[in-house]
Order: sequence, then structure tokens, then C-alpha cells
Amino acid sequence: MLPRSTTSLFCVLFQVLAAVSQGFGEFESVSVGAPINGDRFRIEGRCVVPGVKAQDWVSTARVLVEGEDHVGFLKTDGSFAVNDVPSGSYVVEIVSPAYKFEPVRVDITSKGKMRARMVNFIKTSEVVRLPYPLQMRSSGPPNYFNKRETWGWTDFLMNPMVMMMVLPLLIIVLLPKVVNTNDPEMRREMEQSMNMLNPNPELPDVSEFMTKLFSSKGPGKSGSSIKAGKSGQLKRR
Amino acid sequence: MAAAISCLIFFFVLVCLSAAVFEDQAGKFDWRQQYVGKVKFAYFDSQTQASRKLVVATEQNVIASLNSRNGDILWRQVDKTGPEGHIDSVLVHGQDAIMVSGNGRLLRSWEITVGGLNWETVLDTGSFQSTGFVGVQDSVKYVAVLKKTAIYLHYLSNGHQKWVENLPDSETVQYEVVYSGGSGLVYVLGVVPHSHLTITAYNLEDGEVMKQVSVEALWLESLKPGCAVVGDGVLVCADPASRSLYTLKLEEEHEQEMRQVLLQSLGVELSDGFQPRVLATQPSPARHPNAEFSVQLGSDHHILLQLGDDVIAPLRDFQQALLVSFATTGEKTVAVVMSPKNETAYSINLFSADSGRRLLETFTTFNLDPNGGKPERLYVHAFLKKDDSVGYRVLVQTEDHALIFVQQPGRVLWIREEALAEVVTMEMVDLPLTGTQAELEGEFGKKADGLLGMVLKRLSSQLILLQSWTAHLWKMFCDARQPRSLVKNEVTIETLARDEFNLQKMMVMVTASGKLFGIESSFGTILWKHFLQKVQPSSSFKLVVQRTTAHFPHPPQCTLIIKDKDTGLSTLHVFNPIFGKRSHITPPSLGRPILQSLLLPLMDQDYAKVLLLIDNEYKVTAFPSGKRVLQQLQEMASLVFFYLVDADQGKLSGFRLRRDLTTELIWEVVIPTEVQRIVSVKGKRANEHVHSQGRVMGDRSVLYKYLNPNLLAVVTESSDSHPERSFVGMYLIDGVTGRIIHEAVQRKARGPVYFVHSENWVVYQYWNTKSRRNEFSVLELYEGTEQYNSTAFSSLDRPLTPQVLQQSYIFPSAISQLEATITEKGITSRHLLVGLPSGAILSLPKMLLDPRRPEVPSEQSREENLIPYAPEMPIRSEWFINYNQTVTRAKGIYTAPSGLESTCLVVAYGLDIYQTRVYPSKQFDVLNDDYDYMLISSVLFGLVFTTMISKRLAQVKLLNRAWR
Repeated sequence: MLPRSTTSLFCVLFQVLAAVSQGFGEFESVSVGAPINGDRFRIEGRCVVPGVKAQDWVSTARVLVEGEDHVGFLKTDGSFAVNDVPSGSYVVEIVSPAYKFEPVRVDITSKGKMRARMVNFIKTSEVVRLPYPLQMRSSGPPNYFNKRETWGWTDFLMNPMVMMMVLPLLIIVLLPKVVNTNDPEMRREMEQSMNMLNPNPELPDVSEFMTKLFSSKGPGKSGSSIKAGKSGQLKRR
Repeated sequence: MAAAISCLIFFFVLVCLSAAVFEDQAGKFDWRQQYVGKVKFAYFDSQTQASRKLVVATEQNVIASLNSRNGDILWRQVDKTGPEGHIDSVLVHGQDAIMVSGNGRLLRSWEITVGGLNWETVLDTGSFQSTGFVGVQDSVKYVAVLKKTAIYLHYLSNGHQKWVENLPDSETVQYEVVYSGGSGLVYVLGVVPHSHLTITAYNLEDGEVMKQVSVEALWLESLKPGCAVVGDGVLVCADPASRSLYTLKLEEEHEQEMRQVLLQSLGVELSDGFQPRVLATQPSPARHPNAEFSVQLGSDHHILLQLGDDVIAPLRDFQQALLVSFATTGEKTVAVVMSPKNETAYSINLFSADSGRRLLETFTTFNLDPNGGKPERLYVHAFLKKDDSVGYRVLVQTEDHALIFVQQPGRVLWIREEALAEVVTMEMVDLPLTGTQAELEGEFGKKADGLLGMVLKRLSSQLILLQSWTAHLWKMFCDARQPRSLVKNEVTIETLARDEFNLQKMMVMVTASGKLFGIESSFGTILWKHFLQKVQPSSSFKLVVQRTTAHFPHPPQCTLIIKDKDTGLSTLHVFNPIFGKRSHITPPSLGRPILQSLLLPLMDQDYAKVLLLIDNEYKVTAFPSGKRVLQQLQEMASLVFFYLVDADQGKLSGFRLRRDLTTELIWEVVIPTEVQRIVSVKGKRANEHVHSQGRVMGDRSVLYKYLNPNLLAVVTESSDSHPERSFVGMYLIDGVTGRIIHEAVQRKARGPVYFVHSENWVVYQYWNTKSRRNEFSVLELYEGTEQYNSTAFSSLDRPLTPQVLQQSYIFPSAISQLEATITEKGITSRHLLVGLPSGAILSLPKMLLDPRRPEVPSEQSREENLIPYAPEMPIRSEWFINYNQTVTRAKGIYTAPSGLESTCLVVAYGLDIYQTRVYPSKQFDVLNDDYDYMLISSVLFGLVFTTMISKRLAQVKLLNRAWR
């Protein structure tokens, strides 16, 4: 049971509501919870999981009022009633491991007037009305799992580094096709430019060096060449 | 713009922090076991022959349906704890289970195939007495609920009230039994103790009183359990004083007296001082009960009697019968008798209820666990076989809350250990090393062998390792060839061995019933169980691990301190946590109530840690108490301090151990009980390691943590419960000096307070009465930018008080449990594990509960990775470590470090038990289990392949060049 000051607080809340004027008339028509034993009331409502029969999920769901202070169960048609709730303000939740429901705050005055509003823990006095008897609609199954980072070809191809490599490659492959290589003038011109580009033929080619290194006959040869290099260095000294 | 950026950072951090499970990990290293609790009512669904369903209601306020083929839960509905959810009675009719709960407050009807409610009605308050179905003309339409002052009749189909009648003279008469024999009348039987019996008959249609008779019965005290209605409405009562049975016809019109039948005339004798019990059977509520009934005359003596026309005839005397029960199938009613055969084996026989003859081929024997309790109750499901003989299945409930389902040729189909629904405390113990591992470990101990010997030993042990590795490979190969379904992950007590990362451990669980369990943690197999016979139901327990498995030739040792609630006296149970066997070490006998126990880091010659027990005269008992131990204790006595809490007087007192092992009071803190009471006191965990001594701030200076190992967190709640004046207090007290380090008061707040005290922080949760929401508050203690003494911490030499930072947050849900993760070295970041009433366990990063979170993010706070302050804590379903495997009514969350720094083992227990692993900073020390071996190896092979091809191409090119 809640002492009087709390109830007066509720009165204030209701006045605020009237001032906000979200519909004074509507407030008057708030259904009166059936008083069962003087100051104990009943919270009623219905919950729906779109596309799923109530029978398939009600056995795993419960209605929790303010933590586990009051517990209600779902009927086989999805409706529920939580009995023996004293006046006060409560957060009503439907808990089910398979479906997600938004909690609702229910205010009950000492006379048994009920109203439902959105839960707002930061602005606790803000009132956004919801229908009463409660209408709980599931927003689907909760997402418990993180997605694995899967590896796909599109991810690889869309990588900017890969894009930077692929574009020049395309240009190299496609450019000779576009430019007519049969034209002798053109060919001469290209050869000239190639010679310009060609590095010093004296310098060892990296690929050549690698193939030498890896070829089966390589070791002796490359070894000797290294030796020669060394001796050359010595000589120079 | 800045706000937007900070918001972005916030979300980025959230994404980084998330410690969710991946979908393919579900069930890989976690498991859940669901329980219902100690069964109070059990019914077999006998609608159809093929139906294999059981409906049970338990002392844990749970109604559930079990599959009788394997014992699995088909559905389960959990009401709230305490007397308001207490189940008074359950009756099953067809597809409906009618349940009365909350001392007759609520009448509910459950649909037993679906597990949902059919209807629910509220009855007036009043003490519940009895309930019964009321049928007329072979159909059951109503349910009658008898309370102390009134009788209610409700329709079975929709729960609507048909009528309610106040009972006459309810102040003096105890109304106890409601009975209806299908005659259109509802009889209510009441008794005025040692005076008379009253019978009131109500008309079924309108509740009109049809008859009201009172019969003199000076000897009668109560109708339960010595009375029952038998046959054509005859009340049979047993009177232990005169050693006789009394009968009374209820439907008789005129005045009558109770007829006395001496038990001696039936040729039986009543055991001295035993309250006889009368057991009758009523197969259908729309008809009269059977004329046969049984009377229990002694603890293992029953007699089957038949009520004829005014005479009671004995049918059969069961001398060695532990339990007797009736079962009906079709037209046949049988008496099922269970008698002990030897210490562990029990036999079941069926007797025809009409004749008392033994039915052929119904004899069954089965064995019970010798470490368990004795059978307590028997539930029987009888059915007709094809050849018209009676077959049966039996559900046996034992003292240790186990349910054992036995099928006819003595086969135990399944066992449910319902004691595990009430786990009180638990510990995780490392598994022992295997023989080869132990040998390897032993190598490092000895050094006397000389160089050559050592080398040889090294080589031989490497050989052994190689051998075991090849054996392991061979086993893997064999397993891989078999189909997956055949490969069993069976863990037995023989094959128990520590795995390489010490992820598999032994969970030692202590339950309220006094039954101990040893559960292996990777699959949840119960490896041993031990029922402590003499434990009182309301005892409190404390479990300590005195010796771990690390000291190889010595077996590990656990000690359970059992404290009786009424006498306050304690006993010790010393056992091996791996095998569950009681140790041969005799614990000290404790003559006085124990106030406090502490486990010292001191070890005796057998590597058992010393347990100090302080009794109510402040005397100290050490266990083990060898000569060497006492000597060591004397040496370090000046370093041993302990504290006692007296919540009734609001007193915390600190003591010091003297050299002669007496104690000395050194400080006392009194928290006046008129204003507030001490709710809980917690120190830090002894096995906790803190890796970093401080935090590096944005300007590269270090903020040192105040790491006082002796710090106690004391939570108080105001005695005034008015929402405007109530408060929650948090005191941080040094346990050695009694100095109050810090005091925080949360006004307009009330409990229950859940809190965690670890490292240099305390996190606590309370209910804000003003804003009607749950709030988290975090306190962090820092020494400042300079450390007073960086090598050691001493409570006696701390001139500076620590700096205390505090911040509070809104938590958008109630919580049921709070614990913090723990890891081997404390490098991994900490998470808080929050048990929610919905059954989910939320893994909340401690980073979100950091009092240094800035309101306005600055350059430095961004450098420090501080998340900007947001008043509301998020709850995201990705952070639920147990995804949809909810743990109903979580009573405790136990965390233990594993061999991997990144991994923390978590066990949540309540009505269910859930075990999993959490990785608060992700798996940084092992490869992820989604590590793409395929990609890596294919890339490697691809590279090798291209090298070979390009080599070939290069050769061709070289050759071509040479030709040119």
C-alpha cells in the first residue's frame, strides 16, 4: 500500500495531464478497474505476436509488474489480468524469451482509475497516453546474436585497395586494344617510349633474380654470383 | 555538431564493447538445466493411453508438465515467490488443472497441453482449507473451495462463481473437509476440537443449507490426516488414544452417534505414539469413493480394509510397507505397496483393492542411490494392458527431492534431481591432472638426480607425451570416421582430467535440502551426489576450498560449514570435491555457535589452508590444528584481523588475534538501528588480481587506484520506509582499523540493494522512490596522481584519504542479481553480469559505469576513451550472454577464472542452472573459433602454386631470350 502523499502526487500528475490537454474527455472515460477488495485492483490487457498463434508461445511468457512484485499469466487467447495490485504506478512488461514487447507504465489511483502511458525513465512525469486495457504488440523476436564477419567476393572486390590495383590493370590490358598496334608509325613511337621507360639493361631484373634463386640449378650459380659480388666488393676496398 | 560526434563515438564504443555470442556458438560451451523444485502435487494425465504427461506443482510455486518418457519439462509456469504465490492445492480433470494459490486467494485453471491459462478468478481473503471437484450425474462441472469462513462453488468451464455461502459458527468450528459423492449435495465437515463434529450439507444448485447436524466426538481434534470419507458417504476416523476406528454415515437423515470399531478386533496393533492416517480413493468425483481404504498404523505398517454394511473387514495386512497408494484404471482399483528390500533396493507390488489379492506379474524391484534419501511419496499411474491385466508406472519422490520414474520390469527411466532448484552456494574446483601430466609436473620437484638423470627423465617424459599425443590423434581419427550421432561426449568420473586451458572444472553445488552435487562444467553431467541426512531444512551453508588439486599426491579438500538456524550450532562436513567422498579427516567438534569463519593463506604440512572459526565467546578454533599450524599461527597472529557484524544491534566490530590464540576487540562502529539497519557487508574476493595499479589519463599522468584489500562495503537501509524519507547508505570501512573511508547516502531510495565490490570500485543498485526507477551508482577510489607506498599496502599506515568519484545512472529494468567477471590475472576488462527478472543475464561493460565519464567530452577524455555521460544505461538483447536460455529467479551468479586470461566461467543458478563462458575483451589469446583455416590455407597453397607456375613461365621466357 502506498501512503497518501503518493496518491496526492498522482492527483498532481493527472492535473498536469489535463493541462497538457491530451483530451480531457478521453481521460474521463478511463475505464475503472474492478475493485476487488477495497484497494486492490486488476491490470488487464492483451498481447499479440503478429502471425503466431497465442497457444504456441503463451506457456513461455509471463506478465511482470514492477520486476517480480506481481506476476500474471497469459490466457490461451493472449489476454492477461494481473490481480491484487494496490494503487500506484507500475511498469508492466511481457517477458518471453522468444518475442520482444515494449514495457508500459500503468498508473492506478486510489479510487481505481487506470491509465497506461509510455515508459520514460528520464522524464518521469511526461505523459504519452496508450490505450487501456493494455494492447501489447510484439515487435518480433529479439536479436540475441552478433553477425559473424563473413568473407565474400563482393567484400574483396569492393575494397579500395583492390579497386586501385584493378583499374590500372584494366587500362594496361585494354589500352593496346584501343590503340591500333598494326600501324608502323605508332609502333615505332611506342617502341621509342618503351625504350625511354626501360631501365638500364645492366641492372639485374628482380624477377630474374628471384627465378634464379628458386630454380633447381640456381643455388650454385647464384652462390657463385654472390661470391663474385663479394670478391668484387673486396677488390674495390 | 560536437554532440553528434560524441554520439557517434558512443555508438562506436558500444559496438566495440559488445560481448555477444554468435549464433553458431549457441550450445557449444554453454548449457542449461531446468528444474521445478520439490514436488507437492503430481498427477498423471490419464486421458488417453498414449498420453505420457505428468502435471506437477511444487513448493517453489511452480506448476509444470513433465514428459514421462524422459523427464523433460513440457511447459512450466513460475508464480512469484513467497506466500502470495504459494500453491495450496492442485486438482486435475481432463485437460484442465485447477490450482488454488496464495492461501486461497486465486483460483486458476490451466490448459495442460498448451500450458496457458484457461481462466483465473479472485476469491475473498481467508485462510484456505480444502478443495474438491463436485460432480453430478457422472459429469464433473464444478469445483468447490472451502475456506475458513465460506464455501465457494465455481464452474469448471469458465471459472464463474455459482454460489458462495458463509459457513455457520466459523469462529468456533474448524471446517476442514469438503465432500461430494455425486448426489447433488456438497457436504462440509467441521470440527470443534474435543467437543463435536458438524456436518453441513448444501444444495448444489442454489447453495441452500439442506441439513445441519452435529455429532458428539470428544476425542476428535482434527479431521486431517486421521479421517477420510469412504464408500457411500461414510466418514472413517482413526483415534490413536482409544486405538480404534470411528465411522459415521454422512447421508443419514436422523440423529446418530459415531460407531466405534476397536483396531484389536481387526487383529492389528497400532504403533505407540503414531498418528494413524486414513487413505481413501475416489476414482471419479461424480461418484462415491471406493469402499476400500488403507490405514497407516506405523512408520512401515499399513492395513487394507473394506467397509461393508456397517462392518469393517480387514483385507490384507502389509507389515513391511513403506508407502501405500491407490490407482484406478477402468473399473479396477489397485493398492500399490512399496516395501524396502535391503539398504538401497525397494520392491513394488500391486494388490487388487476389492479382494486384497496380489496381482500376478506386477512385482518390481529397483535400486536407489545409496547416497540419496529414502522414498517419501509414491505416485502411481495404472493402465490396462491388451490382455486386460494391469500395468503401471511409478513416480517415487525421495527425501532429497529427487523424482525417480520407474517402469514395470524395474527399469528406472529417468531421475530428476529437484534439489538443484534450490542451490544455496557453490564453488568451482580445478580438475585433477592425469597420471602423465602429474608425472611431468613431478619432474620439476626433485633435483637430487644429477644432470644425466635429469636429462634421461626429460627424454622419457617427452616420450610419454608423444605417446599420449599419438593416442589422442588416433582417437580423433576414429571419432571422425564414426557418424556424429554415435560419438558420445560422455564424461565419467574416471576420465576426468584438466584440459589444456583449464576451462572444464568441477562445480560443487550445495542445495537447501542438504544434498551436495558434483557437476562437471562442460556438459553439466552430475558426477556425484551426496545427501547429508541430518541437515535441518533451514540451515545456512558456507563452502570453502581448503586444498585445491594443485598439490598432487594430496587429494583436494573442501569443507562445508553447516549452521543450524534454531540452535546456531555448526557442523563441518569435509569432503573431496572431485569424488564427493567424505574425507577421513575428523573435523573439530564445535560446541558453541560459530560467528565467523576465515580461510587463512597459511598451509599445514599437507598443503591444506587453515580455516579459523570464531565462536560466540570470541574463541578461535583452527582446522586443521596440527602442531606446526599452531606454531605458524602464533607467529603470524599479529597479522590476523577479523570483523563481526551484528545486524540486530547495528554493530560492526573488529578483532585482532593474539599470540595465545585469544582475541582482542580493537574497533567498533555502531550504526544506530533506529535510523538504519545493516543489510549486507562484503569484502573483496580473495582470488582477485588487479593488473594495473593506475589509469593513464589524457595528459599522460597516472591516476593511482586505491587498492585496499581490507576494505569492506557496508550497505544500510533506513528503518523508515516512507518514500520521502527512506534512504540507502553505503559505508566503506577499513576492516583492520575500523576507519570509515567513505560514506555515501542515496536519499529517497530503498532496497533491495545489489552490489559488487571489487578492485577500487563499488557498484550498487537501488530503487529510486521519487522517480520510481532503478538506478545504478558507482563509487571509485583513487589515491591520486602519486602513490603513497608503491610496494605494499598497509591499512595502518595510510595518512591520506582516497579521492572518491561517484556517478549514477538510470537502469531501465529491475534486477535480480549482480556479479562481476573475474579473470586469472585481471588484465581483461571487467564486465558486470546483471540478472534480470525476465531471466536474461546482461553483460554490462564496466566502462559504462565509470564515474569519470564526462558530460562534455574533451580532447583528453577522448584520448582516454571515456564514453560521454548518458543518464540511461542501455539494455541490448545482444548483450544477453544466455540468449534465449533464460534463468528463472536467478539467486546467484558465480564467476571463476579459467586458465585463459580472456575467458571467465559463469554459472547462474536459481530455479535453473546455466553455465557459460564470457570473453569481456573478446578472445585475444586464442584464435577465434570462426578463424578461417580454409581461407588461410587456400591462399597459402595458391601462392605456392603461382610461384611454381611463374617459375615455369620465367624459364620459358629465359629460353626464348637466349634463342633471340
